Amino acid sequence: MNLYLYIFRRLLYVIPVLFGVCLVIFVLFNLVAPDPAYTLLGKHATIQQINELHHELGMDKPFIVQYLDTVKTAFTFDFGYSWASKQNIWDMIKAGAGPSLSITGPLYILSSLLSISLALLVAYFRGKFIDKFVLVLSIVGLSIPSLAIILFGQWFFAYKLGWFEISGYENGFPNFIPYVILPIILYVFIFFGGDTRFYRAVILDEAYQDYVRTARSKGLSEYKVMFKHVLKNSMIPILTNLIIQIPSLILGLLLAETFFSIPGLGAMVVKAINNSDFPVIKAMTILSAFGFILFNVLTDVLYTVVDPRMKLK
Amino acid sequence: MKMRNILLTVMCSALLVLSGCTKKQDANEKVLNIVSPAEIKGYDPIQADDLYSGREISKIYEGLLQYHWLKMPYELVPNLAESLPEISKDGITYTFKLRKGVKFQDDIAFAGAKGREVEASDFVYSIKRLADSRNQATGWWVLDGKLKGLNEWREKNSKLAATNYDEEVEGVKALDKYTLQFKLAKKFPQFLYSLAMPFTYVVAKEVVAKYGKEFINHPIGTGPYILPIFDQGKKITYVKNPTFREKFYPSEASDEFKNLLSDAGKKLPLVEKVVVHVMVEPQPAWLKLNKGEIDYYSVPKDNFATAIKNNKLSDELVKKGFILEIAPQLDVTYTAFNFENKLFHNKKLRQAMYLAFDEAKSNTLFFNNTAFPAQSIIPPGIAGNIKDYKNPYKGLKLEEAKKMLAEAGYPGGKGLPEIKYDIPDSTPSRQAGEFFQKQMEQIGIKLKVVSSPWPEFQAKVKKKSVEIFGLAWGADYPDAENFLQLFYGPNKSPGANGSNYDNPQFNKEFVEATTMLDSPERTAKYEKLNKFLAEEVVALFGVHRQAYILEHGWLKNYHPTDLHHDAIQYLNIDTAKKAQLLKNF
Repeated sequence: MNLYLYIFRRLLYVIPVLFGVCLVIFVLFNLVAPDPAYTLLGKHATIQQINELHHELGMDKPFIVQYLDTVKTAFTFDFGYSWASKQNIWDMIKAGAGPSLSITGPLYILSSLLSISLALLVAYFRGKFIDKFVLVLSIVGLSIPSLAIILFGQWFFAYKLGWFEISGYENGFPNFIPYVILPIILYVFIFFGGDTRFYRAVILDEAYQDYVRTARSKGLSEYKVMFKHVLKNSMIPILTNLIIQIPSLILGLLLAETFFSIPGLGAMVVKAINNSDFPVIKAMTILSAFGFILFNVLTDVLYTVVDPRMKLK
Repeated sequence: MKMRNILLTVMCSALLVLSGCTKKQDANEKVLNIVSPAEIKGYDPIQADDLYSGREISKIYEGLLQYHWLKMPYELVPNLAESLPEISKDGITYTFKLRKGVKFQDDIAFAGAKGREVEASDFVYSIKRLADSRNQATGWWVLDGKLKGLNEWREKNSKLAATNYDEEVEGVKALDKYTLQFKLAKKFPQFLYSLAMPFTYVVAKEVVAKYGKEFINHPIGTGPYILPIFDQGKKITYVKNPTFREKFYPSEASDEFKNLLSDAGKKLPLVEKVVVHVMVEPQPAWLKLNKGEIDYYSVPKDNFATAIKNNKLSDELVKKGFILEIAPQLDVTYTAFNFENKLFHNKKLRQAMYLAFDEAKSNTLFFNNTAFPAQSIIPPGIAGNIKDYKNPYKGLKLEEAKKMLAEAGYPGGKGLPEIKYDIPDSTPSRQAGEFFQKQMEQIGIKLKVVSSPWPEFQAKVKKKSVEIFGLAWGADYPDAENFLQLFYGPNKSPGANGSNYDNPQFNKEFVEATTMLDSPERTAKYEKLNKFLAEEVVALFGVHRQAYILEHGWLKNYHPTDLHHDAIQYLNIDTAKKAQLLKNF
């Protein structure tokens, strides 16, 4: 099938998915989430004020009208203003994306490189000391709650040793650098366990295939065996895992942003949830859904690049 | 050898990089670094219903009155008013003369981008803006029903296509450029306190018009600081307002604040820049305080045992030059009954529950034994609190509780349905809820703890769908009325009386007391009402909390306070001492 036609067809799936996403967030907001009027109006709110605010926010419209408003937002990307901060939501997203990406971007690259390289190494030395050592380290990383790692990291590396800033953020390059190094290092450790174990399993699965044995018996160097054959043939699940993480980079890291006082999108989402700020929650959910669809299509396209046997249907 | 050299080079480079990863403090800079433990909602005075937003707003905006920085009990003094108002004999008309020459901060909203002089009409506009139903002001309650014609103006304008700010309201008038007059709908001596609250701070019409919806993010007031950029971020930096009027540090003080007079007569504000770090989590804030990066912070619950023993600081903190400030807060924690539920009309049941509750243990578990047991609703420091009063029903008196429960008609809890105990959703609240549940189990009362997010919890109380519920009340102003009104019948839900308690005799005496001017007679009336509520056990009063704040030795003029939202202008940094003390860090 023509590549562009395929992409177009897959992108058409966005339509029903966005309808579904809108339905889910609309139902959750109207049936499960607390009434935002009580948060926005404070402890002395009267019923009259609550009713007036419901009217102003359009919460007294019929459900179907409110749902269609949500759908319209999803297709026009006109997210409007935050109920709590009264800021334009696109401006809020623009302001938060930089701080979030300044952590998640380098973190994504570093942690992917580290875990894939280590997975290759331990797969090659399967059963040896290095394999067992990395396995233990992975289990340690997986077992310790991320909150404990953050608290220890802040206390030991930032407070006791004084190597990093404890928390905070300054906008603009290179001002932000001192503030993001510690969270990046800590999160590389937090993610390292799960990712390395996953990539190790994928690589080992390939490393014991007949064609690898054949390659070795043909006298190919281990470098060529591992990189040209094993790694290349493991790329489908690796790519899937790598690309599917990209949309969540934008969402930021909720815990890290809270503990390191980083004004990113993760912190923005937490604040929106606490304030029942529906337009912000809606915007972030729609953008995430859109991102996941887009990157799923990209993954499918890339499959054909790394494995020419695959065809787009 | 070659490998070793490479390793050494890598390690040295890493150390060099790491050493550049922290910013060095400049002790010579007069910069105040403080923490806001909650996100700032924005800078619209009429929406300043939480303490932290109120504090930020008060750096930029000002009102007619303020509390004297160095006097306790709290004392109202003029701020943008030239003097305290002239009050008519019937206590209905309040006439203020405004301070001349006070200017709004420079902004493009004004002609020539230069801030203009504040006039009485600006106050009229600001009060109407608070009343305008289109603005959904969280602070409307302070004036609701208080000023002649204001409620009618609000009601009428809510039905029009646009609010008519030009329409005159009898209750708030500009008599001339510098004379402002309020007429109350009925006597309400507490009215003056509302003029020291952020809700009634003065704003400029042009600025509101210029920024529209985003006015909340563009604060332009008359206050000591300006905020060049507000992006709802985690670091808010204020700089001195270059057009701030001549305002000076007070020269008089109550005995407990006589040691804070070294800056008496100096022009305010005393520091050039204020940096507010929004830090919701206490642990990083505590580390920053211990590193000297912030100037004061309350001791987090989890660090209390290591930092403070027997109300004294640990040796390590003393060596670093820290000073511990302990101050009672104007608040009360309590478990309320919903009196719409007939079950709680049974006074003996309420008394049995109170007798069964181990307040001392609760104080140790949840407040590090630092709070004062609340014998009644009015906290110490407010007229109406009865010194040395002991509530006869305050636990733990287990045997008496069991006897009382039997007299209530439920021996050993038999016949008593399971009671729902609603609490806001947070770890400390849940722990306290479970503790209360266990305490009641001792006499056979079964409770079901239900935790809900704060807005949902609030909605349940307002809709009267709770049975018993736990919460705390902090003073909006230093008058017993602010506490007693929590049980005033006409304030029933959705008003502040979430208990829906309605006793005609109490209501009558409440009205009598709250319309009296401050006097020994009024205090006696407040005490009587306070004791009545305590012995009726209208709620299970828990504790009055105390603030435990650590400040650095270089910080000058600080004292913990509940109501001085504008405290920052009085604080100072001793830069020489800071440089010296930082050597110990």
